[in-house]
Amino acid sequence: MAPENNGTSFRVLDPTATQSIATDGMAERPESLAGMRVGLLRNDKLNSEPLLDAIYDVLAERFDLSSAYRVNKGDASRPAEPEFLSDFSNEVDVALLANGD
Amino acid sequence: MTNVPRLTSNSIEVPGALQAIETYFEKGWSDGLPVVPPTPEAVSATLEAANLSPDAILGIEPVKGAVITAEKAAINAVMAGCKPEYMRVVAAAVDAITAPEFNLHGITVSTMGAAILLVINGPIAKELEINSGVSAFGPGHRANATIGRAIRLIVMNVLGTRSDEGLDKATLGHPGKYSWCIAENERGLPDNWEPMHVTRGLGESESSVTVFSGLSGAQFGDHASNTPEGILYSFAERIYPLGLGVHEVILVICPEHAAHFDEAGWTKQQIGQYLFDTIRKPESEWVPNGLPSGIKNGGEGDVSSLQSPESVIPIVVGGDGGAWSAVIPTWSLGSRSKAVTRKIKSNG
Repeated sequence: MAPENNGTSFRVLDPTATQSIATDGMAERPESLAGMRVGLLRNDKLNSEPLLDAIYDVLAERFDLSSAYRVNKGDASRPAEPEFLSDFSNEVDVALLANGD
Repeated sequence: MTNVPRLTSNSIEVPGALQAIETYFEKGWSDGLPVVPPTPEAVSATLEAANLSPDAILGIEPVKGAVITAEKAAINAVMAGCKPEYMRVVAAAVDAITAPEFNLHGITVSTMGAAILLVINGPIAKELEINSGVSAFGPGHRANATIGRAIRLIVMNVLGTRSDEGLDKATLGHPGKYSWCIAENERGLPDNWEPMHVTRGLGESESSVTVFSGLSGAQFGDHASNTPEGILYSFAERIYPLGLGVHEVILVICPEHAAHFDEAGWTKQQIGQYLFDTIRKPESEWVPNGLPSGIKNGGEGDVSSLQSPESVIPIVVGGDGGAWSAVIPTWSLGSRSKAVTRKIKSNG
């Protein structure tokens, strides 16, 4: 039940902040995965590896993939370093990420 | 009133105090408890008490780049029930939690469910009546309750880290996520111990806040031991289950236990070295989780639970009566979140 007006009206302030969120947009989607080098980027969580492997196996049944490139960014709580991502992107055509708690 | 700082936050008109409280519930701006309606006058007074301009940046959360301005911090501090004079502590705490090594994003979104423990040192604890004694972790002390709550409200409202529809994914969480702020009981320190902030590089006459990514603590009673070794055996039994790789762990030492260290002339550094040397097992006997306790007293080649003697951070807390101390682990066992100390600016 809403409380009744119990006094003179007054103004109060919004405690939230609108944070600008940087976005680079979505990467261009490939027409097909055939011949692609697939990057599997783990986040250091125990189950991220089997999850990515399972997805890779499903994709490999449907597409003639070139290779899998497995890396671990080593810390689930922080973004990967730019140099790490740069090296990773040089080795792959498409990438899969997983958070496997 | 002259020189009122210009506030830029959106404002809404409410027909009365109770309606204002309900409005903050409805908008998802509370922590589940009623808040003090943050009027522009109250927020301005809070900023003025800390000599802060509304647009001053108190901290930037490193992962998202989210900015915490003095104005937003002050609004949340008023909502938490802070007196204006508490704002200096809130400002220093925001500076501390946004230090990269604290890893605020990780500790507040993780399933591990850490809370932010604030430990205050120096003269400001007495000045603001921040409790360090009887029931230090309990309710009934405005400064403790509202300063800790302000930090949580800032995390929820300014950073958007909420458990209802936000980024907080803690499996369990714990009550410290409402509010968790104490002072070290510097009166109860052994004669040869410096307060924590001095150990961490500040001067004794300075005031500070130290932030920890605290998990639920394990309290224990040891009314039988009256030697450092005996008391530390009880601490060790609570550290063993944490397993290997403990980078930082808080030892909450009650004054009665602290007195035994004083009588024996033990330093804080000796405590760290003793536990580092003692909490050891062959590497094959350690398992990642659910470790059975049992001190083996460290044979040749055994591996310590602790990364180094400095991994234990002893603080003296609590009332004079009772032999109840506690171990408070930190998020990721301190490997990815480090305690951070910041000086609290004086108003003089």
